[in-house]
Amino acid sequence: MTTPVHSALRAGTATPAADRITRKQRRESAAGWAKTAVMSVVTLVALAPIIMILVLSVRSGQTASGTYSWNFSNYVEIFSKTPVLDYLYNSLAVTLGTTVFAVVIGALAGYPMSRLRNRFIGGYTLSLFVVQSLPVIVFVIPLFVVFAKIGMADTLSGVAVIFIAGSMAVTCWMMAAYYDSIPVELEEAAWVDGASLWGGFVRVVLRNSYPGILSAAIFSFLVAWNDYLVATVFLRSQSNFTLPIGLQTYFQQNATDWGPVMAMSVVMLLPPVIVFAVLNRFFSIGGIGGAIK
Amino acid sequence: MTDVSVPTRSAARTDRPRGRERKAESRHPGSKKTMAAMLAPSIFLLIALNAYPLFYAVSQSLRDGGIAGPGEFIGLENYTTALQDPAFWEAVRFTLLFTVVSVFVAWVIGTALALVLRRSFPGRSVFRVLLLLPWVVPVVVSTTSWNFLVATPSSPVPTLLRELGFGDVQILANPGSAMAIVIIFKIWGTVPFMMMMMSSALQAVDPSVEEACRLDGASRWQRIRHVILPIMSKPVYIAWVLASIFTINDFPSVFLLTGGGPVGSTSTLVVFAYRLVFQDFRTGYGVAVAFLITTALIAMSIYFFRRINRASANG
Repeated sequence: MTTPVHSALRAGTATPAADRITRKQRRESAAGWAKTAVMSVVTLVALAPIIMILVLSVRSGQTASGTYSWNFSNYVEIFSKTPVLDYLYNSLAVTLGTTVFAVVIGALAGYPMSRLRNRFIGGYTLSLFVVQSLPVIVFVIPLFVVFAKIGMADTLSGVAVIFIAGSMAVTCWMMAAYYDSIPVELEEAAWVDGASLWGGFVRVVLRNSYPGILSAAIFSFLVAWNDYLVATVFLRSQSNFTLPIGLQTYFQQNATDWGPVMAMSVVMLLPPVIVFAVLNRFFSIGGIGGAIK
Repeated sequence: MTDVSVPTRSAARTDRPRGRERKAESRHPGSKKTMAAMLAPSIFLLIALNAYPLFYAVSQSLRDGGIAGPGEFIGLENYTTALQDPAFWEAVRFTLLFTVVSVFVAWVIGTALALVLRRSFPGRSVFRVLLLLPWVVPVVVSTTSWNFLVATPSSPVPTLLRELGFGDVQILANPGSAMAIVIIFKIWGTVPFMMMMMSSALQAVDPSVEEACRLDGASRWQRIRHVILPIMSKPVYIAWVLASIFTINDFPSVFLLTGGGPVGSTSTLVVFAYRLVFQDFRTGYGVAVAFLITTALIAMSIYFFRRINRASANG
């Protein structure tokens, strides 16, 4: 995937051989390290609230002398005394369901949005943009009434459906923006060879769109995993709680008991951080700007 | 594979005019049905989960409904109530302050970081990922840790302020400092988004233009202010619009940090509407408020959509 030359370039180490380093280059490299030092401080300040979570999650039991013990007892406590595993399972189920559907829908709709140019597509792109910009609360109240009638109010699938509709606009744009970068000549060549429109889409366009698909997947993953409003309105029974609701409920009941609260926070923040850390180089949100046309 | 991810960012802008011609040609015989079928799932969801609730919301906002039922038709009374309600206007004022300040400050910081991260230096790729984390971490989690930092008099930040001689500061009990904390929290969460948007916009700036200015003796600040930013005006515009929309619609940041208090000082319109519906059970009125936000946002979206369109047609 990443060639050695590439990573060398990226890390900024592609300088000529050591014996050819001139004074100017040495000065530049000193400036580079100064930048590194400044950015380290900036990053440390920016991440302080997150580092705090990690530190507090392994700190427990203040003794009489005011010292703390450092261990994983907070984690033991939440896993043994709270249904955090159920919350985690519910969150994973809702998030993965949302991601799969939102990406498939976006991958399909993005193609006509990218390749056709007529009034209907223009209007459709505009309505996606408008809907995306409305406050979720406008949709939540009527949907709750409707979902209550058809028995989907307090269900994980009901919540997932709302997340799919909520992230769909952006996944459609992201896919359309990515397809825009694939020359139509590639499909035309496939058509000449007798492929249908669908065949050309699947075999030529989709096959070259993995980075776009991953961007869309990361986006809808984050939307579903991080949501609070929809879940708090729709999920009423504890067995259906997702992590945000579980964490918030636990926080309200044990407000000053920071150790276990932070341990549960770590459980909630790890999946998106891992997904993002592994896949971030595929993630490009800048492209959605280009799809607004 | 690494190279493939580059076109997403640059193609959207640089290929735009060419892409336009290309699309007109893209007509496969008998393609209409397939194209329609590909759009169908998203159209269905848009109608069922967005368009229908929207119409339902309109009708709710015209009734005096509560928990008991949909209520009687009362015309525009909910809207006139809102426009005469001082709490509504206070929410409008704070929403504007919250949005304008946090979007602009986050943009300045995000652009600065994007400019720093443009050139390579040791550890650049690590910083680039780490600095995005405030955006990736769930708001429920980050508000929890910010609560720990500021909520009680014995929290780290009030303790620090006391040591520095500012006296006892009850950050979340005082309207001014509560507003400041909510805005700072939002800036913290928006900077990574701005950094991403501006980084990808900077990639489209031709380095030779900048080099030419440098040779003409333009200072670093002059190059950024008079050359790079004007070239990037369209992506900057888009970033402002999207971030404003996200911020106006942001419910959890405010709700989980302050709940809208003290005495409604940090209530944004969305939080105000939520409390009307789910805490005061004034469904009709709450939906009317939500609908006023909606109307403002639709007007804003269409206006900016047109402006962006024109900007892209010219550039």
